[in-house]
This record gives sequence, structure tokens and C-alpha cells, in this order.
Amino acid sequence: MPLSEIARRRLRRLLLFAIALLYIVSVPWYRTTGAVPDVVLGLPDWVTVALSCYVGVAVLNSIAWWLTDVPDETPRVDSGESSP
Amino acid sequence: MSFAQSGVVALLLYLCALLAVAEVARRARRDSSPADHFLAGRDLGVFVLFLTLYATTYSGNSLLGYPGEAYRRGFSWIMATGFMMSIIVVFHALVPRLRPIAIANGFVTPGDWVRHRFEGDPGSRGLLLGVSLLMVIALGNFLFAQLKAMGELADQVTGGIVPYELGVFGLAGVILLYETRGGMRAVAWTDVAQGVLMLVGLAALLSWVLGSGGGLEAVTRSIIEVRPSAAVVPDARECANWVSTIVLLGLASVVYPQAIQRIYAARSGRVLARSFSLMTFMPLATTAVVTLIGLAAIPRFAELGAAEADRVMPLLLGEWAAAGPLLAVAALCVFIGALAAIMSTADSVLLSLGSMVAEDLMGRSHRDASTTLVGKRVAAGVMLAVAVLALNREITLWRLIELKMELLVQCVPAFLVAIHWKGLRARPTLVGLIAGTVVAIAGVLLGWKRIGGVHIGVLSLGLNLAIATLGSALAAGSRLERAPASE
Repeated sequence: MPLSEIARRRLRRLLLFAIALLYIVSVPWYRTTGAVPDVVLGLPDWVTVALSCYVGVAVLNSIAWWLTDVPDETPRVDSGESSP
Repeated sequence: MSFAQSGVVALLLYLCALLAVAEVARRARRDSSPADHFLAGRDLGVFVLFLTLYATTYSGNSLLGYPGEAYRRGFSWIMATGFMMSIIVVFHALVPRLRPIAIANGFVTPGDWVRHRFEGDPGSRGLLLGVSLLMVIALGNFLFAQLKAMGELADQVTGGIVPYELGVFGLAGVILLYETRGGMRAVAWTDVAQGVLMLVGLAALLSWVLGSGGGLEAVTRSIIEVRPSAAVVPDARECANWVSTIVLLGLASVVYPQAIQRIYAARSGRVLARSFSLMTFMPLATTAVVTLIGLAAIPRFAELGAAEADRVMPLLLGEWAAAGPLLAVAALCVFIGALAAIMSTADSVLLSLGSMVAEDLMGRSHRDASTTLVGKRVAAGVMLAVAVLALNREITLWRLIELKMELLVQCVPAFLVAIHWKGLRARPTLVGLIAGTVVAIAGVLLGWKRIGGVHIGVLSLGLNLAIATLGSALAAGSRLERAPASE
């Protein structure tokens, strides 16, 4: 069943919020500086975390763009005047 | 046939293919209006739009500069994947609102938005000039860097058979020819071929680099052994730089004139959204790949100094080409792919420059067909001037090139804030733009490119935004106070 316009907008906002969180987690500010990392999935663990976050951003952002309505016409603004 | 001779043949074949595509594009034109020439008649579909966005966004720097940066800085350069992706994220704030206004008003250049949004506002003419000037300067720097990179690469691919000077002038001439004949249509269609070449070449190179190094884990362990500092968790300053780069690139790239013009050029809003939903994956397929290639070079060329790091990509390709005839062909594909990346960025920059100078600086109308001719003449003049400048191989305008993003980001309030807040006024936005630009230039010239890891461009944007928003709010307040008095 297709999503309603309001549901699409809410889901899109939620996705953009999740993307912001992934960006925050991708930077290893919370790790001990200078620590020698473990190798996870072939990369230093903090790099694996960062790259996983960016894969997540790509997927969520792609979905967000699918949900985005880019209109080709400017929405009509009700001027408040009554027509004759 | 030697590798250098094969390079000349491949280069000639590639250039002939570009000119053939441009001729087809010229025959496909509908009229001689600026919208048809500069925006391909606003009829770019998903596939072409996606690949032209891709080829335009990823310049020669992405393919040749980023591996060197990864080699120098180590694993923290994974940040590049994040900042390239942030561009497509930040577009959410601009595209859905700008596109319908642009279509309704027939916009061709970024300046058309500024003119429309601030029409009748005191200071609007100055703001239009300020924004356009910053964009033209940034684009001029960008074009200069691409021409220099083109000359260097042609020299390397052909082993000096095509010398640097001939590379700069010859390739600039080819770009000018197909761009003036076929306009955006030719640029976009050649971008398709250039984008595919880049992707195929990089995928092949990565598989060879990792395969010959014993796989990803073996390469990582070698890096930790050879240069442990490249793999340790970065310090607070580097983390601040990571965040700052994402903010700077994400915001500044959104106001790239050639990117804004592609928003106008899409066949429909739906096509645009679909293209962006594909584009968001490209940093993984390109930036992450070139980062891994640069990192894999650390154990291979342990002795390279920081200044020589930019040669990482040519060195790897040289090794690759020497490993066998089939691999030499693949290496040639990557070289041509890199050249394609540079040319696709240069052609888009040139097209934007021509339209912006003709309309926004010279005041020509986008509804007047003669503007197309003026734009073409401007493009030819700019290309000639920049090519002559680029002939001097020793010239170091790199500091100015570094300024590109710091300058472009100052245009953000006139686009991203203005499109969301009706209260933003032209005069405070202009004052903010001037203040931000002066601080950014002074900072870079004084050597304060970053303060505590944060780019001077981001800090000066903060000042710019504060002046623009507070000034607009104060102007609104004083207008309200004056209104009852006049009644």
C-alpha cells in the first residue's frame, strides 16, 4: 500500500535524523587517541565502524531520495482573496 | 608497440570518440536558446543525469590527489568518503524547494535564483554581483587546476610524446570544440562515457592492488607494521578536522554552479530524485576505492616523502603496466579514465563560467537567444586565458585553489538560508558575504588555514551567517517600528 504524503515526510525526516547520527558515530572522537587498533573485516576497527556508517548513510539517503517529492511546479499559495 | 606509443593511440581514439559524441549532440539540439545550450533543453533523464553528476563531481583531484592524501594521512582519510557523501545529503535542503521555482521562472544560472529571491530588495544588485563573482573566481581556479592536471597526465600517459604544453592546449581545444558545438548535451553525453571509464578503471586497479598485496587484511597488517601512525585512532585535532571537512565540503559543493545547473537541467523532479538516490552510493564506489588504493601504496613505496605522495597513482599504474601486456591495457584504461575525470569536470566548469559571466556579470537575459553566442565567446576567451596561464608549469596558484571551497561556502546563506527563511534580506547577506570572504582570504594568506582542526572557511561562514541573519532580523524590527509611525 503506498504511503500517505504525511507518512512519507515523517519517514524521510526520521531517515535524515538517522543519517546525522551515523555521521556523529563515524568520527572516532569517543575512542582513545593513539590506540593501536584491532583488525576487523580487514581494516582497523575504527575504520570499519566509519565505513559501515557511510554504507548506512548511503542506503538511508538513497531511500530518503526515493521518498522525496521534488515538485516541478510551485505549489499554489492561497492569497485569501475570494474569487468574484 | 611501447606503453607510451599505446598511450598516444588510446588518447587519440578517446578524443575522436568525444568529438563524435559532440557532433551527435549538436544535431540533437532543438534551438539556439540559452536553455537548450546551457541546460540541454531541460531534458536530461535519470541515467545521463546520474552519470553527468558523477563525472562532474569527481574531478582529477579525486582520482589523482586523494590516493596521495590517503598515503600521507593514513586510514583517517576514510573521512573523504563521508564528505563526498555529505554533498548528496545536504542537497535535501536545497533541491525540493529550488527546482519548482527554477522551472517556473526559467532559471539558467545560479544568479537567476539570487535575482529572483531578492528582487526589489535594497542591495540585491550588489549581492548578485558578489555571489556571481565568488562563484566565477572559484570556477576559474578550478578550471586552472584541471588544465594543469590534464597537461601533466597527457605527458605521463604518452611518456612525453605529447608534451605538457601540447597536452594543455590540445585538450583545452578539444573541450572547447565539443562544448561550444554541443553545449550541455555534449558535456552530459561525454560525461556518460567518462564516468563509465572511471568506474571500470578503478575497480580493476583496486582488485590488482589488493590481490597482489595478499588481500585487504594482509595489506592492513603491512601498513600497521611499516607505519603504525597511519592506523592508530586519530587525535582530537584530526577528529575536529574530519567534522569540519564534512561541513565545509557538504555545504560548499551544494552551491557549485555546475551542480545547481544540473538541478535546472533534469527532465523532471522525479528524475532528479532518482539520480540522487543513485549518486549517494558513488563515494563508496570511487572515494573509498581511491582511498584504499592510496593506503595500499604505503607498504609498496615506504620511502616516498610527503611531497612525492601525489605521484602514488602514476607509480602504481607504472608497476601495474609492467606486470604484463593485458595489465598494461588495463593501466591505460585507468590513465584515460583519470583524464576523462579531469576533462568532464573542466567542460562542466567552462559551460557554467560562460553562462554566468554572460548573464550574471554582463547582464544578458536568459530569454535572449544571442546570450548563447555571448556565453560561447566568453567560454572561449576564459579557456584561452586560463590555458596560457597554465602553460607555466612552475606557477603555484595552489593557495588560491585551496581557497576555492572557502570562497564558495560564503554563498551558502544566499541559497540555503534564503530558500528556507523569507526574512533574509539582501543587504545584510551581502555584508555577511563580504565579511566571511575577507576573513577566509586573510586566514589562508596568513597561514591559518585551520584553527584547532576547523577550517577557516567554516569559521568565517559562522561570522557570515551571524551577520546575515541578525542583520535581517534587525532590519525587520526597524521596519515594524517605522510602520506605525508612518501611519
